[in-house]
Amino acid sequence: MNLLYHPELRDRLAAAYALGTLRGPARRRFETLARQHPEVRAAALVWQSRIAGLNELQPNQAPAPAVWTRIDNLIRADLERHAMAQTHQAAQADAGGWWNRLALWRLAGAGSFALALLAVGAVVMQRGQLGGQIAALEQQLQASPRISYVAVLNDAQANASMLVTFDPRNARLTLQRVGDYREASDRSLQLWALPPSQPPQSLGVLGEGPLLRLTAGEDELRGSPLLAISLEPQGGVPSERGPTGPVLFKGAVIRPQL
Amino acid sequence: MSATPTFDAELIDLLDRLGRRDETALKPLYEQTSSKLYGLALRVLGQRDRAEDALQEAYLQIWHQAANYRTSLSPPLAWMALIVRSRALDLLRRHRDERHTDTLDDALSDTLPSDTPSPLDSHSASEQAQALHQCIHRLEARQRELVSLAYLRDLSHSELATQLRLPLGTVKTWLRRGLDQLRTCMTRFA
Repeated sequence: MNLLYHPELRDRLAAAYALGTLRGPARRRFETLARQHPEVRAAALVWQSRIAGLNELQPNQAPAPAVWTRIDNLIRADLERHAMAQTHQAAQADAGGWWNRLALWRLAGAGSFALALLAVGAVVMQRGQLGGQIAALEQQLQASPRISYVAVLNDAQANASMLVTFDPRNARLTLQRVGDYREASDRSLQLWALPPSQPPQSLGVLGEGPLLRLTAGEDELRGSPLLAISLEPQGGVPSERGPTGPVLFKGAVIRPQL
Repeated sequence: MSATPTFDAELIDLLDRLGRRDETALKPLYEQTSSKLYGLALRVLGQRDRAEDALQEAYLQIWHQAANYRTSLSPPLAWMALIVRSRALDLLRRHRDERHTDTLDDALSDTLPSDTPSPLDSHSASEQAQALHQCIHRLEARQRELVSLAYLRDLSHSELATQLRLPLGTVKTWLRRGLDQLRTCMTRFA
């Protein structure tokens, strides 16, 4: 039967097609006709749009507040990734220019700084030498005035796993993975400030890359002698709920006397 | 009587800003739309935690695809609702094996307790949805539910019969009559 001469049947099939109950060979025949004949295609599109109105007719329900937190965390992680990719591209595109040399300088500075921290992290395990190492670190910090707080986060075996630095001018926390720990794809690492006699406060959720940046206020760090990283469901959990998964890494925040 | 122009314009403006990667537009967009869209996800999936996962994935997709919104020519809420339904159906298919069956009466009691039309938020619904709202409420409650579930959960005749514990012949007859009535009614709005 030719649907082109039977608008009634064409419309009936288009409605069943849009609803999804036209199935199997009948659906494929209808799709073929729709590709060949604009009248059939138009009927299918009109009915798809009409039936899709069902999506808007369902009773409203407010989602739990945690959903927004998860979405917000994931969007922030996405923006950070994007920004880092752009910086990387810009640095490559600008090879040879003064700007790039500046970027290189920064990288070199960060590199030697990270090495110094690594040394600290390694030695921190050995009791008794902490004071001297902190002094060395503070010296290092005064040479890099953009960075005012640091922490080396260790795992349960006291292996340095994450280096944290804070640049108050840009309200920017930088985390560098130094261990080989990688969370499963359906999990996220979440960084917490642990202010004394107060509940933990989320500083953000980490992306997958080796170098991670989060935005944080100085107040959040100033009052927190400890930082910790917990393993959470993908996207993290709301700050007010506190960590729900195991704490994988933690360490003291070290403040230079500037 | 359809979505007020200012409401649509506001959503379109927010989607445009998201398209330019202005993340500050996401919170107001979420506040305006999340109850409506979570209601949809919950109706497709029937479980709060899965509906929340679907909602999360949908808003991330909206964030990534907002720049394409204008090419769709759809009202903003209809465009977002299609994304939510797709993500919810993905989750439904992933968990198809463990899906519970419920009777039509259970499904009905979840949503529309009586034959009285549910109030429609004329502030936000698209013109198309308002026309459908008027027409679908002329159907008998069980027909209306069958038509809704067929679409929302993407179910075939036989899946509907199994899940709602109805004879296959009954499902076919009710769906055919329901769709015929809808067609006659919707043509008046064309």
